[in-house]
Amino acid sequence: MSKSLLVIWREYSTRVGRRSFLLMSILGPLIMASGIIFVFWLSLEETEDQKILVVDELYPLFRQLEDSDKIDYEVQELTLDKALALLEVTDFTAVLYLPKNILSSKAGDLYFRKQPSMRIHRQIEQTVQQYIEVRKLPEFDISKTDYYRLKSPFNLSMLKVDEGGEATETTMLAAAVGLVFAILIYIFIFMYSIQVMRGVIEEKANRIIEVIISTVTPFQLMLGKIIGVGAVGLTQFLIWTVLTAGIVTIGQAVIIGDRYDAERVTEQMQMTNEVQEQLTDINRFDAVALNAQESPFSKILQINFPVMLSLFLFYFLGGYFLYSAMMAAVGSMVDSETDTQQFVLPVTFPLIFAYALSFTMFENPSSDLAVWLSIIPFTSPVIMMIRVPFGIDSADLWQVYLSMTLLVATFVLITWLAGRIYRTGILMYGKKASLKEIIKWIKHS
Amino acid sequence: MGDLLQIEKVNKAFGDFHVLKDISFSIPKGGIFGLLGPNGAGKTTLIRIITQITGPDSGRVLLNGQSLAKDDIHTMGYLPEERGLYRKMKVWDQALYLVRLKGLSKREAETSLKEWFTRFEMQDWPSKRVETLSKGMQQKLQFVIAVAHRPQLLILDEPFSGFDPVNTELVKQQILRLKEEGTTMVFSTHNMASVEELCDEIALINKGEAILNGKVESIRSSFSKSLYELRFKGSSVSFANALGIDFEIQDMKSSGNEHKVILKAHNQQPASKLLQRLIPVVEVISFQEQLPSMHDIFLDRIEGSATEQTDNE
Repeated sequence: MSKSLLVIWREYSTRVGRRSFLLMSILGPLIMASGIIFVFWLSLEETEDQKILVVDELYPLFRQLEDSDKIDYEVQELTLDKALALLEVTDFTAVLYLPKNILSSKAGDLYFRKQPSMRIHRQIEQTVQQYIEVRKLPEFDISKTDYYRLKSPFNLSMLKVDEGGEATETTMLAAAVGLVFAILIYIFIFMYSIQVMRGVIEEKANRIIEVIISTVTPFQLMLGKIIGVGAVGLTQFLIWTVLTAGIVTIGQAVIIGDRYDAERVTEQMQMTNEVQEQLTDINRFDAVALNAQESPFSKILQINFPVMLSLFLFYFLGGYFLYSAMMAAVGSMVDSETDTQQFVLPVTFPLIFAYALSFTMFENPSSDLAVWLSIIPFTSPVIMMIRVPFGIDSADLWQVYLSMTLLVATFVLITWLAGRIYRTGILMYGKKASLKEIIKWIKHS
Repeated sequence: MGDLLQIEKVNKAFGDFHVLKDISFSIPKGGIFGLLGPNGAGKTTLIRIITQITGPDSGRVLLNGQSLAKDDIHTMGYLPEERGLYRKMKVWDQALYLVRLKGLSKREAETSLKEWFTRFEMQDWPSKRVETLSKGMQQKLQFVIAVAHRPQLLILDEPFSGFDPVNTELVKQQILRLKEEGTTMVFSTHNMASVEELCDEIALINKGEAILNGKVESIRSSFSKSLYELRFKGSSVSFANALGIDFEIQDMKSSGNEHKVILKAHNQQPASKLLQRLIPVVEVISFQEQLPSMHDIFLDRIEGSATEQTDNE
C-alpha cells in the first residue's frame, strides 16, 4: 500500500470504527426520517372543504367527475381566463384546468388562492386519473389485470394565483427537499472540516507529527487526512440516505397508508394476490412504482434525483475540500483546540452566512443575491442546493457551470495555500500566528 | 570504519534568526554519537534536517557519502524528544501503521513488531488503546516503533526521559545490543552521565555552532586540569611534607585516620614521582587522575562561549 493510501486508510478506519460514528449513523436517519414523516403527516391533515371550478376543454368529457369527501367539482365549459376571473369573485376555492390534450399529456393545472393540503392535491389527481382510465377501458377491451398495468399516472401542477392574476408554479415539496439537501451540505461540511482541524491539532499537540512527516510529506499527510475524513463523510451520508429512505418508506406505509388509504390498500392487495402468479418481476416492480406514485411522496419522486444527488456530491466534496483545507491550515496554526476560536469563526463565516440565508433564499431562489451566492465558491455549496430543485432555466445554466468551475479552481488554490501554511505551522509551537507571520509562511516555505 | 553521516557547512535561518551557522562534523559508522548542547542550540533543527523534515539553506548532509535522498528516511529511525501517539488508536494498529510508513510491508512489519513486543514484554498490549497506557509504557512503545524497521541510523532525542530505573536499564541494554549489531545511533541529550557511559563521540553545539567535536575520552583528557584524587591512611602532616612544591592540596576530607585529597599538579609533573615520595610515608589506598566530567566540560564550554560573546560585544 502506498504511504498516501496508508494515511487515508488510517484516517478513515479509525473514525468509522468509533462508537460515535455508529451512533450518528443511527440517530441521524432517525431524526431526519421522523422529521419528514411528521411534515407529511401534518400536510395530510384536513383543510377546509374545496369547491372546485373545472375548466373542461373537452367538455362534456369530464361532466361526471365525482365529488368526493371534501371536494365538490363543478364542471363548466368556459375559458381558463374566465374561470380565473370567477375564482376572484366567487366562493370557488380553486380552478381545475383540464386542457384539450389531457388524454395524451396526462397533465392538468390547479389554480388556487390558498394552498390546499397534500391530501386534496392527491385526491384530485386520483379522481381525474381514474376518470380518464375508466373512460379509456372500453376502447381497448381490457381485462382488470391489464387495467392496472395500463394505469396512467396523472400529473397535477400547482399554480398559485397572486393579486395581479399571475400564476406561478409551486413545487414546495420539491423545494423543501432542496432545503434539506442544503442543510445537509452545511452540516456535513461543518462537521467534517472541523474533524480535519481536530485531527491536525491532535497530531500537532501530541507531537506525533514529527515522526509522521519524516516519512510522508506534510502535503501528503494533509491531503490524506482531508480525503480520509471526506470518505467518512460520504460513508455517513450513504448510510443516512439508505436508512432514512428505509424508515420513511416504512413510516409511510404504516402511518399514512393505514390511516388514509386502508380501503384502497386492501383493494390493491386483493388485486395483487389475484395477479401475482402472472406477474413477472418487472411487473411487480411496476406495481410498486404505481403505489409510490399515488402516495403524497409523488412530488418528491418527481425531482430529478440523479441530477440532484450528483450535484449534492459535487458541491459537498467541493465545499468540503475548500473548508477542510482552510481548517487544516487553522489547525496547524494553533497549539490546542482552545486557541482555534479566533480563527474558526472568520474562516467558517461565509458558510454560516449561507446557511443563515438559506431560508430566505428558499423563498426567493431566483433573486440576484441567490444567484450571486450560488456562484461564489464559499457559499455556493449551500445556496446552489436550494436553487436547483426550483429548476434552472437553460439560459441560466452558465451560472451552474461557472459556479462549479469557480469552486474547483478555488479549492485547488486554497489547498495549495493551506499546504504552505500547514507545513510551517505544524512545526511551530508556542508562537501566536499573526496574519503577517502567516503571509511570511506562505511566501517562504 | 568510515563515516555514516557527514554534515558539511550546514546553514539554516528562520527569518532573521540564524539557527545553524556553518555546522560541520561527521558521525562514524556503528558507534553512539552524542549530539549535545543547551536548549535552543539548534539540535532539533539539525535533526530535522537529517530526517528531511526541513532542508538546509546551504550546505549538505551526506549519508554513506551520498547526498540525502527521499527514501533514506527508511534507513533512519527517529524518537523525538516530545513524543506522541494517537491516543484513541489500539497499540498494535498504531505500531503497524507507523512502521509501515517506514516502507515495510505488512508482513515484515508484523514479524519485526512481534519480536520487539516479546523483547520488551509487551505481548499482552496489542489490543489496548494507547490512552490506557502509562507514560512509561507509551515511551516503550515509541522506542519499539522507532527501531522496528531496523534502521541503519537511529536518532534518539532524550531516550531515557520518562523511564523508571528498571526500564531505563532495559532500554540501555537494547541500545547496546543495537550497537553490537552495527546500528549507528545519535543521542541528543542533556544527561551527561549517560553520554559518558554510552557515547563514543560527541559534538557540542551552542548557538548554532559546533564548538566541540571528537571522542569522549580524548575530549575529557584534553580538558584535564591535572587534578588527582588520592586516598590514604596515615598522618596528614607527614603527607603534606612529602608533597613538595609541585603538588598543591585543593581539597581534603578526613574521617579518622583515613583521608581523601584532591591534588593539583604544577609544571606538568608526572604523577609517578609523587607516588614514589608518598609510599614510604603513608599507606596509599587509591590514586587516580580526576578527568573533568562531561557535565563540567559542557558547563565550561557553554559558559566560556557566553563570556567570549560578551567580550566581543
